Amino acid sequence: MQHAFLDRYSDLDSPLHRLDPRVKLVVFTAILLMMVSVPRDEPLTLLLCYPGLAILLALSRVPVSYILRRCLLVTPFVLMAAGVMMLTGETNGRAVAGTGADLRSLAALSIVLKAFAAVIVLSLLTSTERFHRLLEGMRALGLPPLLGVLSAYMYRYAFILSEEVMRTSRARLSRTPGPLRTGRIRTYGNQAAMIFIRSWERSQTVYNAMCSRGFTGEFPPTSDLRSSDLRSSDLRSRRGDLRSSDLVFALIVPATFLAVRLWG
Amino acid sequence: MHIADGIIAAEICVAADAVSVGALYAFGRRTRPEDVPRMGFAATAIFAASLIHFPLAGTSVHLGLIGIAGILLGIRSFPVIFTALLFQSLIFQHGGLISVGLNTINLGAGALLAWGIWRWRSIPEQLRAFSAGFCGILLPALLMALEFELTGYGRGAFYILSVYAIVAALEGGLTLTIVSFFRKVKPELLDSEILEADVWEAEE
Repeated sequence: MQHAFLDRYSDLDSPLHRLDPRVKLVVFTAILLMMVSVPRDEPLTLLLCYPGLAILLALSRVPVSYILRRCLLVTPFVLMAAGVMMLTGETNGRAVAGTGADLRSLAALSIVLKAFAAVIVLSLLTSTERFHRLLEGMRALGLPPLLGVLSAYMYRYAFILSEEVMRTSRARLSRTPGPLRTGRIRTYGNQAAMIFIRSWERSQTVYNAMCSRGFTGEFPPTSDLRSSDLRSSDLRSRRGDLRSSDLVFALIVPATFLAVRLWG
Repeated sequence: MHIADGIIAAEICVAADAVSVGALYAFGRRTRPEDVPRMGFAATAIFAASLIHFPLAGTSVHLGLIGIAGILLGIRSFPVIFTALLFQSLIFQHGGLISVGLNTINLGAGALLAWGIWRWRSIPEQLRAFSAGFCGILLPALLMALEFELTGYGRGAFYILSVYAIVAALEGGLTLTIVSFFRKVKPELLDSEILEADVWEAEE
C-alpha cells in the first residue's frame, strides 16, 4: 500500500523549501496567530491577508489543487460552526453601519476565512519540509523531547497500524454483512482491542531492538539543529545556522501580515 | 472533536496552549525509557483505531478511544493525546495548530477522568469500563460546548452536545467490550499500571 500523501511535496525545490525549519515554524505560527486573532467583525482584514498566502503558495510550488483538497476536508466542520454562529450567535443580529450586513453574518464569514487560512498555512508548513526536520526544529525551539520522540513513533508507525486496521476491517466486513445489530458492537470493540494488543506487543519488540542499538529514551538529532546551538546569544556567528535568506523571510513575511492586520 | 483554528477565540486557544504545555511537562516527567515505545505505540494505536467507523443512524462515527487511553496510560495519556493531536494537525490538518492545546485539554481531561473512574475499584469492572468510555467522550463534548459558548456561539453548541451523548453511550459500550477482550486475552494490560505509578512514588 502506498502512502504518497505523507510529506508529498517536501522534496520540491523552492525558496520556501530551502528555509530553515525553525524559521518556518516560527513564521507560519506567527501568521496563524495574527490571522486567528482578527476580530470577528472584520472579515475584510482576513480577505486582505489571502493575497499574501497566495504569494507564499506560489513561492512554494505546491499545487493549488492539493491545498484545495485539504480545505475540502475541514469544510463540513467549518460550515457547521459558521451555521451555529449564524443561527444562535450572541451578536443579536445587529446591523453594521454602512455595510448592510449583520454581525452574525460577518462573524460566520470570519470563521470560514480563518479556518481555511489556517489549513493553507499548515499545509504550506508540512508540504515544504520533511516531517522529521520539523520535529527537529520543534525540539531546537525548546519543545519537550518526549513530544518529539512520540511524534517520531507516530510518523514511523501510523500507516503500518492503519493498514492493520484496513485488513481487520476487511475481515470483519466479510464475516458480518448486513445491517447493524446490537451484537456487532462487540465485533467492533474486539477489532479495536486487537489493534491495541498487537501494537503493545510490537512496542516491546521495537523497544528491545532499540535498546540493542543504545536507545536511552531520546532520538539523537540527524541534522545540525541541535538545541544547544540555540542557546548561543549570537546565532549568526555559528556555522550551519540561520542564513541571510532565513532572516529576511523571518522579518519581512510576519511584518507584512502584521501591517495588514493592523491597518487592514 | 478536533477544533480547527479560527473557530474558537484566539485568546482562549493561546491560554489553553500555555496550560497544556505546562501539563505536558507535569504529566510527562520522569518517563522511563521503556515506557516511551509503549506510549508511542499507544498514540499510534489511538490514531489508527479511530479510523474504524461505526454505523449510527444512517451516518457513521469513528471511535474516540479516549476512555481506553485513560485506562491503559493513566496520567501519561495527556502527553500521548497531545502528540496524537499535534501529529494529526500537522499531517492531515485535522484540528488546528493554535487550537492543539485546547483540543488536548478537552480530550486529555476526558482521559484523566476515565483513569480516575477506572481506579475506583470498589465498583464492578464492567460498570467502570462503561463509565470510563462514556465520560471520556461526554466530558470533552461538554468542555467543547462551553468553549463555543465563551466564544459567543450562543446555545447552539449545547444542542450538538445532545448528539454527543448518544455517541458517548456507544463509546461506553465499545470500551466495555474492549476491556472484556483485554481481560480474556491480555489481562496484564489492565493490571500493570505501568505508566502512572512511578511519578507519584518519586514525589513521596
